Amino acid sequence: MSGTNPPSSAATARALEATQSLKRSVQAAFDESQDARKAPPNNGYTSKVRVLDRYKVVGFISSGTYGRVYKAVGVNGQVGEFAIKKFKPDKEGETIQYTGISQSACREMALCSELSHPNMIHLVEIILEDKCIFMVFEYAEHDLLQIIQHHSQPTRYPIPASAIKSILFQLLNGLLYLHTNWVLHRDLKPANIMVTSKGEVRIGDLGLARLFYKPLHNLFSGDKVVVTIWYRAPELLLGSRHYTPAIDLWAVGCIFAELLSLRPIFKGEEAKMDSKKTVPFQKNQMQKIVEILGMPTKEKWPGLVHQPEFTQLQSVSSAVREASQGKTGLEAWYWNTLKSTGYPDSPPSANPGPQGLDLLAKLLEYDPSKRLTAEQALQHPYFTANGERVTANCFEGMTTQYPHRRVSADDNDIRMSSLPGTKRGGLPDDSLTGRPTKRMKD
Amino acid sequence: MAANFWASTQRLHWQFSRETLSDVRQQLEDEDRNLVQQYPLPDRRLLSIFFNQQLGKLGKKMNIRQQALATAQVYMRRFYSKVEIRRTNPYLVLATALYLACKMEECPQHIRVVVSEARQQWPEFIISDVSKLGECEFYLISEMNSQLIIHHPYRTLQEFQGTLNMAQDDVSLAWSIVNDHYLTDLPLLVPPHVIAVTAMFLALTLKPTQTGLQSAATSAAALSSASPTSKEPAGTSQGPPSTQQKKVQHLVSWLAEGEVDITACIECSQEIISLYDVWEQYNEKTCKEQIARFVKARGLDK
Ligand SMILES: Nc1ncnc2c1ncn2[C@@H]1O[C@H](COP(=O)(O)OP(=O)(O)OP(=O)(O)O)[C@@H](O)[C@H]1O
Ligand SMILES: [Mg+2]
Repeated sequence: MSGTNPPSSAATARALEATQSLKRSVQAAFDESQDARKAPPNNGYTSKVRVLDRYKVVGFISSGTYGRVYKAVGVNGQVGEFAIKKFKPDKEGETIQYTGISQSACREMALCSELSHPNMIHLVEIILEDKCIFMVFEYAEHDLLQIIQHHSQPTRYPIPASAIKSILFQLLNGLLYLHTNWVLHRDLKPANIMVTSKGEVRIGDLGLARLFYKPLHNLFSGDKVVVTIWYRAPELLLGSRHYTPAIDLWAVGCIFAELLSLRPIFKGEEAKMDSKKTVPFQKNQMQKIVEILGMPTKEKWPGLVHQPEFTQLQSVSSAVREASQGKTGLEAWYWNTLKSTGYPDSPPSANPGPQGLDLLAKLLEYDPSKRLTAEQALQHPYFTANGERVTANCFEGMTTQYPHRRVSADDNDIRMSSLPGTKRGGLPDDSLTGRPTKRMKD
Repeated sequence: MAANFWASTQRLHWQFSRETLSDVRQQLEDEDRNLVQQYPLPDRRLLSIFFNQQLGKLGKKMNIRQQALATAQVYMRRFYSKVEIRRTNPYLVLATALYLACKMEECPQHIRVVVSEARQQWPEFIISDVSKLGECEFYLISEMNSQLIIHHPYRTLQEFQGTLNMAQDDVSLAWSIVNDHYLTDLPLLVPPHVIAVTAMFLALTLKPTQTGLQSAATSAAALSSASPTSKEPAGTSQGPPSTQQKKVQHLVSWLAEGEVDITACIECSQEIISLYDVWEQYNEKTCKEQIARFVKARGLDK
């Protein structure tokens, strides 16, 4: 697919047909609840609002850690397209029972209800109906993962520099909002960053997000492993329990790099938990980082020696992959990447340029206390280089038409298989993802 | 101060004027007039004292920290501003509020543990079926519109300790006054920082001999004798009056800088003082019996 052509009418017809046939099965997932509603238990809880009175499910989008995401359109006065995230309760034997809502779902519900920002995915409502939780979101046609993949298959061609700039700016803007409201996202990665058809970036998936202000107790208790491994900050890899907003900025750096190169910059393999459920040192992931950034030093990162897994660093080879001709590893990586992805040297606005490198280096800073904050990053000259302004629509001026989000009825959609943290199908390699271990049942 | 309180759902959806709150409640009672007449209940504050004591016992067994207990109390108050209490099993609601609060305050407890502890404490009212509590959780969240994040006065209080250089004794007294305010409607009426200021103010205008009070019950007498509007510190036995006076002045001038609505603080202290008056009528047995009556008669414990 060239990506520049609008979908043919034949394709549209086929898609329509497919949609029709899957409607039944998808609708069935919601119908369960309808049947059960007929006989509400004595004194029991019954929802005042019914999902199916307001939404018509048109397809299945994705299967996540805690449930599934469906696409729906509004009915009975509710207008527009929606994404409905359905959290399923556990089954006990054959019948579905109330077993208590997971802590992660509680956080997501509470935080999504509390937060509202143009760069956050908008929550429309939450419906608690027949033992299931339905979180209704505005529908976002795209996400960064999908955009990156569109640019890598079948042929690689760069995401325009201006689009990246806009995406990054909007992402940082949303993140600044989160951080000023004392919320850490903790799971930023391309699949969790949505883009609307109007080119507005929306941060999604607050399933791991939490408040970090609470000074009254140990804020760092609880879940041990956070953030999909490729986007995990070095201090977390080195065992720090001290989560700060800086971990989100590291992830932004990784996403920036990925938008430029169309591949994850640090694509490590996750070491699994052993039988004792101790969290292993993620040597391979650390290795990938060191290959590009070089070995962290205590001169540049004084806190390094206090990291719990500091001694493990010895097992990581200090060879830097691309360093050459007096360039640092990241510098070499950057210019090689821009060249191989195909960014033209001129006009300057078509190339992320030296300011892009400077920003990237400051986001991928080892020392979390020196890493840019969201606020500082937004002030970076990268966003004002060449006297340009950042566009509010990241697609502005683009001819590329990104395909619509795929909606299917198939559980074993292999589209996104083998990506850590994107548990989209029931494939065996999903066990590698780390997601299930992150969201340990509370 | 919590920069985000101003945009919070707590401020936007869960702060009422006194009139609105009483209208809302009146409406609830009107919808269930028979029920309300058939099963009289003590003053809301007395019921709150009862619930709080029950909650405290349950929380102690599970070693749950104060902030989660406070959140659970706010959940209860919100829930019962939307649902007539006589339609519910308050013990189940209490246990559920605690279970949910623990998750939100990052000290999660397993649902089984909560149910079994609750059953031990109230064997007549809790059956050992976790799905009951799970169902009640849906009810609670639904009535609260999934607005589960609660801003408490404790944070402001901690900030005071630093910026106003408060003595530990004053702070712990203020802390227990904050704990007590959950027994009133104040969490639904005023922002948390106003509560914190009020608590600080009351703590400073109290007789210093009364510092270090553990429970509000004993501080009742002291507080009700303290005039909330008086800027004169009470007589002292510890420390020179000038110190105490200085502290109050410091607080007053800080207030005058316009950060806090002083009228609100005064109303607030009156509310707390009248709580301590009402407290004298508290009778655990009455509360228990009156709750048991409607729960049993209506089979709400099943
Ligand atoms: N508002 C939305 N509009 C369109 N698609 C969405 C929306 N929200 C989520 N999705 C799709 O569903 C996927 C899963 O959603 P989300 O990340 O919120 O759930 P999750 O259970 O955390 O999944 P995972 O474990 O894969 O991260 C997203 O990656 C995205 O593809
Ligand atoms: Mg996700």
